[in-house]
Amino acid sequence: MREPPTVVIVMPAFNEAAVIGTVLSKIPAKIESFNTISIVVDDGSIDLTDEIARKAGAHVIRHMANLGVGAATITGLRAAKQLDAEIIGTMDADGQHDPAELERLVQCLIDGPFDVVIGSRLRSRNGMPLTRFAANLLLNLVTFVVYGKIVSDSQSGFKVFSKQALAAIDLNSSGYEICSEIIGEIYRKNLRYKSVPIRAVYTRYSRAKGQHFLNGINLILGLFIRLMRRT
Amino acid sequence: MFLLVSKVFALMLAAIVFAKCYVDFRSGTESLKVFLFWTVTWGMIVVIALFPSIIDYILSLAGGRGVGLGTFFGMAIVFLFFIVYRIYVQLEQLEQKLTRTIQELALRDDWRSKHSEPRV
Repeated sequence: MREPPTVVIVMPAFNEAAVIGTVLSKIPAKIESFNTISIVVDDGSIDLTDEIARKAGAHVIRHMANLGVGAATITGLRAAKQLDAEIIGTMDADGQHDPAELERLVQCLIDGPFDVVIGSRLRSRNGMPLTRFAANLLLNLVTFVVYGKIVSDSQSGFKVFSKQALAAIDLNSSGYEICSEIIGEIYRKNLRYKSVPIRAVYTRYSRAKGQHFLNGINLILGLFIRLMRRT
Repeated sequence: MFLLVSKVFALMLAAIVFAKCYVDFRSGTESLKVFLFWTVTWGMIVVIALFPSIIDYILSLAGGRGVGLGTFFGMAIVFLFFIVYRIYVQLEQLEQKLTRTIQELALRDDWRSKHSEPRV
């Protein structure tokens, strides 16, 4: 009989062969008293992302075409539900998030107790380029306009959810809008949440892989289209 | 001169669209309904391009004085926006279906086969 895993880390990845092995190797095997399982959702990569992730011990789910970070996250969260995970985390595969901080986020979720804990890069801006900082503040504002909830870092991909929170939220976004949609679901489902400062690691690689200006425009358009559909 | 160029341009575009529609219809990728819709639509565009005075006649039927060419083009733009909106909605729905299909396949092939107790 399969032992139910307790903390599942979902990592959407697209062409991350260069760093994903290192990121996965830093995820602790145990967090508190829970076993950790990593799920990498390879979103149609054309490099060796899936192979390297498998070798690093992750469970790999592969999209046959590139759907976007939102769709990959949803696939990973569905897989985590099937594993009956107690706590579910999401983090970027490009090395921007420090896996060592998972423990702190999980601890916060348990101690709260909270339904969702969001790792906030904006509460201590160390290392974040000024343009990115300003863009994130703007996206916080857009998220507030669309979903009615203001949080310190609406675009953070580093989050942990309780099993109950994951069961409650309903997500549909395919692209980067998923981060804002999660904030909307926290508000709509009245979930208890907390923002915890995290350190974002900005390397030349993670800067190149991160959101670009045009992605930001697409994100804002996508959010406003959602707003129009709801009204 | 400008009017002649416009007429030639409209005829060329219509010929391209009609040829594409016909090939798609013959190969079975488009239905008869779609083929007829675009044929009639582009047929009307060609007729208007060749005989622009038809617009004056239509406008006189629609109320005579006070209805200018601007109104006609305004209505045409609204119609075009409607078509663009329909295409956008259908594209969005198609994208969602594609996303769900790929997600299902990924979970079925890569995941459920390795985990004995699948729950949907």
